[in-house]
Amino acid sequence: MMSSSLFVNRSLCLIVFCMVFFSCKHEDKYHGVMEKIEAEGEHYQGVSLSSENYLEGVDTILISEGGHTFLIPERKNQIKLYACTECHSKPLAEMQEGDIKKAHWDIKIVHANEKAMNCVTCHNPSNMDELRSVTGMSIDFDNSYNLCSQCHSKQFEDWKGGAHGKRIGGWAPPRASMTCVNCHNPHQPHFESRWPARFNTQKVKERE
Amino acid sequence: MKQLKVFRSLVKDSFDVVTHGTVKYHIWMGFLTFMMLVGMYCYSIQLNEGLSVTGMTDRVSWGLYISNFTFLVGVAAAAVMLVMPTYVLHDVDFKQAVLIGEGLAVAALIMCLAFVIADMGGPSVLWHMIPGLGVFNFPNSMLTWDVIVLNGYLFLNITIPFYILFRHYQGKEAKSKVYVPGAILSVFWAVGIHLVTAFLYQGLQARPFWNNALLGPRFLASAFAAGPALIILVLAIIRNFTAFKIEDKTLKKIAMVVTVAAQINLIMLISELFKEFYAPTHHSESAYYLFFGLHGKDALLPWIWTAIPLNVLATVLLTFHKLRNNPKILYFSCFILFVAIWIEKGFGLIVPGFIPGPYGKIAEYTPTGVEIGVTLGIWALGAFVFTVLAKTAIGIELGELRFKNNKN
Amino acid sequence: MSRSNKKWFSLNLSRKQNDDSGTCGCGKTSGGCGSHSNDAEMSEEEFYHAAVNASIGDEREKDGFDQVFDVKMDRRTAFRKLAASLLIGAGAVNTSCSMLSSDESKEKAQIDWEEQFKGNYKLMTDDEKKNTVDRLVRSYQLRTGKTISMSSKNAEEDVLFGYAFNISKCQGYMDCVSACVKENNQDRNSQMQYIRIHEMKDGEGLKFDEADDNYYHEVPAEGHFYLGTQCFHCDNPPCVEVCPVQATWREDDGLVVVDYDWCVGCRYCMAACPYDGRRFNWSKPEVPEEEVNHNQHYLGNRMRKKGVMEKCTFCVQRSREGKNPACVEACPTGARIFGNLLDPNSTIRWVLENKKVFRLKEDLGTEPKFWYFMD
Ligand code: SF4
Ligand code: SF4
Repeated sequence: MMSSSLFVNRSLCLIVFCMVFFSCKHEDKYHGVMEKIEAEGEHYQGVSLSSENYLEGVDTILISEGGHTFLIPERKNQIKLYACTECHSKPLAEMQEGDIKKAHWDIKIVHANEKAMNCVTCHNPSNMDELRSVTGMSIDFDNSYNLCSQCHSKQFEDWKGGAHGKRIGGWAPPRASMTCVNCHNPHQPHFESRWPARFNTQKVKERE
Repeated sequence: MKQLKVFRSLVKDSFDVVTHGTVKYHIWMGFLTFMMLVGMYCYSIQLNEGLSVTGMTDRVSWGLYISNFTFLVGVAAAAVMLVMPTYVLHDVDFKQAVLIGEGLAVAALIMCLAFVIADMGGPSVLWHMIPGLGVFNFPNSMLTWDVIVLNGYLFLNITIPFYILFRHYQGKEAKSKVYVPGAILSVFWAVGIHLVTAFLYQGLQARPFWNNALLGPRFLASAFAAGPALIILVLAIIRNFTAFKIEDKTLKKIAMVVTVAAQINLIMLISELFKEFYAPTHHSESAYYLFFGLHGKDALLPWIWTAIPLNVLATVLLTFHKLRNNPKILYFSCFILFVAIWIEKGFGLIVPGFIPGPYGKIAEYTPTGVEIGVTLGIWALGAFVFTVLAKTAIGIELGELRFKNNKN
Repeated sequence: MSRSNKKWFSLNLSRKQNDDSGTCGCGKTSGGCGSHSNDAEMSEEEFYHAAVNASIGDEREKDGFDQVFDVKMDRRTAFRKLAASLLIGAGAVNTSCSMLSSDESKEKAQIDWEEQFKGNYKLMTDDEKKNTVDRLVRSYQLRTGKTISMSSKNAEEDVLFGYAFNISKCQGYMDCVSACVKENNQDRNSQMQYIRIHEMKDGEGLKFDEADDNYYHEVPAEGHFYLGTQCFHCDNPPCVEVCPVQATWREDDGLVVVDYDWCVGCRYCMAACPYDGRRFNWSKPEVPEEEVNHNQHYLGNRMRKKGVMEKCTFCVQRSREGKNPACVEACPTGARIFGNLLDPNSTIRWVLENKKVFRLKEDLGTEPKFWYFMD
């Protein structure tokens, strides 16, 4: 009887000890993932991976805005009939009068309202090869984000930092981001509504 | 060498015993065999097609199997409630009951393991779980704790009665010095298997219905009600069909255990209900679903509203001495208590833990025929194992089975 | 098929005796087939074996078990025999025992056998990882005649992946869901999807229970916003803790992955995940052959079997190559941002530092590496 109760005591102690021992398995040095990111990111050496391969075939230009330097797709070679002056050889008024074939007839402006915007808010009627700011400064087609950022300053901030605008290539450096007009049609900048890509019939069944 | 000879003769004798019996006995065993075959057939379908033949989905990813597993762990642990007084306190009353109890524990544990294996998606790679061969994620995973304690408990519950029966078989007294430490250990172990199984669920912060400090203690209470209740029923049956003498005093004592446990269980149930419904939070949704249904989904209502009245009725009946001392009422209340706790600890615990899902979505669960077939098969397996064990044990205890030294 | 141009390594269970008794590949015992005529020169076959020995060495004697608990060979062989007698790996054992089967099916059986008894990927050395990947590629080729590429690339130094989701940008198009299904070879029968997009009412906060995650109408719907969920690759993942066999773990670059061949299918991790991040293969996953993505990673989109767990891996086959996950690439609105949290100049870091970000169920302490923010 004596020995058995001793045995019980011992085994109990052992169990308690094991439980205490194993429950203290906090190897984690950090209190949260943010702390960990900051601490481990301090000695960031760079990665061997690169997105360059995935950017092949996309003509990009390097821009530097507000301390952020990154690539954006070149725009001018994406425009079908650039330079515009190849057609726009005369002032607009003259071209509209004549009996030439109509162009750009399908462009509707659904962007702000008529009071605020029309074609010449952005296009420079005296030099169709360039865009122009509200104050009349010229803006290159490749840097059209400078035009948008006049009004959409918040989105511009987000875009520079990377919170707005889709990345091209991969996550690995160098960073390449879409510019405004890659996603938004400047004349109708909102996204179209459409049907979702999929519908899960199995899920319906599961929930009856 | 001699031990081996005795053992061989024991196996032979017990084989003789279990293959001979009354017509009723043969019908019973035949029925169990048939059920096991049905279970095996259903399991083969499941092996072939995958677990998609069960009612489980990504939403409710544990169902009937794990419910039964959880409940049976409780039954297994209960045997030990009888071990303690018998072996340690030398309370002779329980002595006959305890062998039956431990046999029950062995059967229950075998069923537990069978249910876990039935629930696995890849039984062919189960060896990944064997310590030394695979990778055993101990002590991080509560499931590994469960594997250890269940197998340990199975080992204890096989060796102790085996030792005693083996001695009796040779006409010798079992040495208490040998089995008492084991018996004491198994008492702690029984509490251990319970808590560990409860912790399996309790430790999941993802499931608020389980992540509740009362789960472990309630497990214990309900197990100590359901297990001995089953033992009472089994003893009653044995008393009826065999010459094995079980005194009324024994049954009464076990009934006492059942009563106290059932009362504690009821108190805890009330405490739980109070917490869930007095100040309901987002985390009470599972309980709402269980008791009242949620967003028009109410598959569990019939179950739980069967269980609760049965539970209350049984507890009330057991509480009054007069009623409890009437064997008919005792058996009846034990039976309904057993059923009530089976529902409560199985369906009522596992399934609502998954409903609503992490994002509030409700997909209900109903077991399929295949699942029920496998479940019945495993229960039949348990009953079969128990019958074999009990018949041998009773034979030895009654002195019908004795090692005959001079015979061959 | 000729053995000399085999691109994979085989253990040669049944062919070994041939070499010992001095026969050649053609099965004749006398020097009739030509390879014995010149003893001085190495036969093609001898050369093959020498080469294998030189390049792989004792590799054939070591794999998952040994790295785990340093189990000695004899114990392991004993176990194999035991297992064989129990017919656990039924198909594998069956075919590998039949001496009459063709070379190809023998090879198939060999692969099945070795795959059945390989170790846990997490604990493999790089060579062992490569071997198992080679076996899987070869096995796929034998089965379907198609060649896939499978990578076993490890986590890159100085990388910790993180994800941000802009709930004011998402329009609910579910292009991400579609791309994910295709990229990751998810089961088409059960329509498994890692990503869920929840359509929520404006002005009611995040009410997941009232949200619709299976809508089908023109989107974006008036007065609603959209929020996507998937596995959040928690930094303190409860799903990993609970796995009894360590079949799921957190890689050094933060990806929480599953070894599909090691998982026993207990679904404990599924119960432990607070974010509905895991999916189980209730039956054999099926993908039409022409839709299979052949660019695979062992831990990522390789073909799964029935009864195992799987989940979003941030497209490990893509992200470890520097690419964005398929969902990020497919999203037409740029609502999904992915990157290296340890790089102070990464866009994801900028979002975390400059936007008002939040995560789901932060009180659980799981530390998801998946943030939400608004414009
Ligand atoms: S979201 Fe779920 S599956 Fe993913 S890491 Fe976190 S707990 Fe694990
Ligand atoms: S289902 Fe697989 S990954 Fe999940 S806990 Fe079980 S063995 Fe581990």
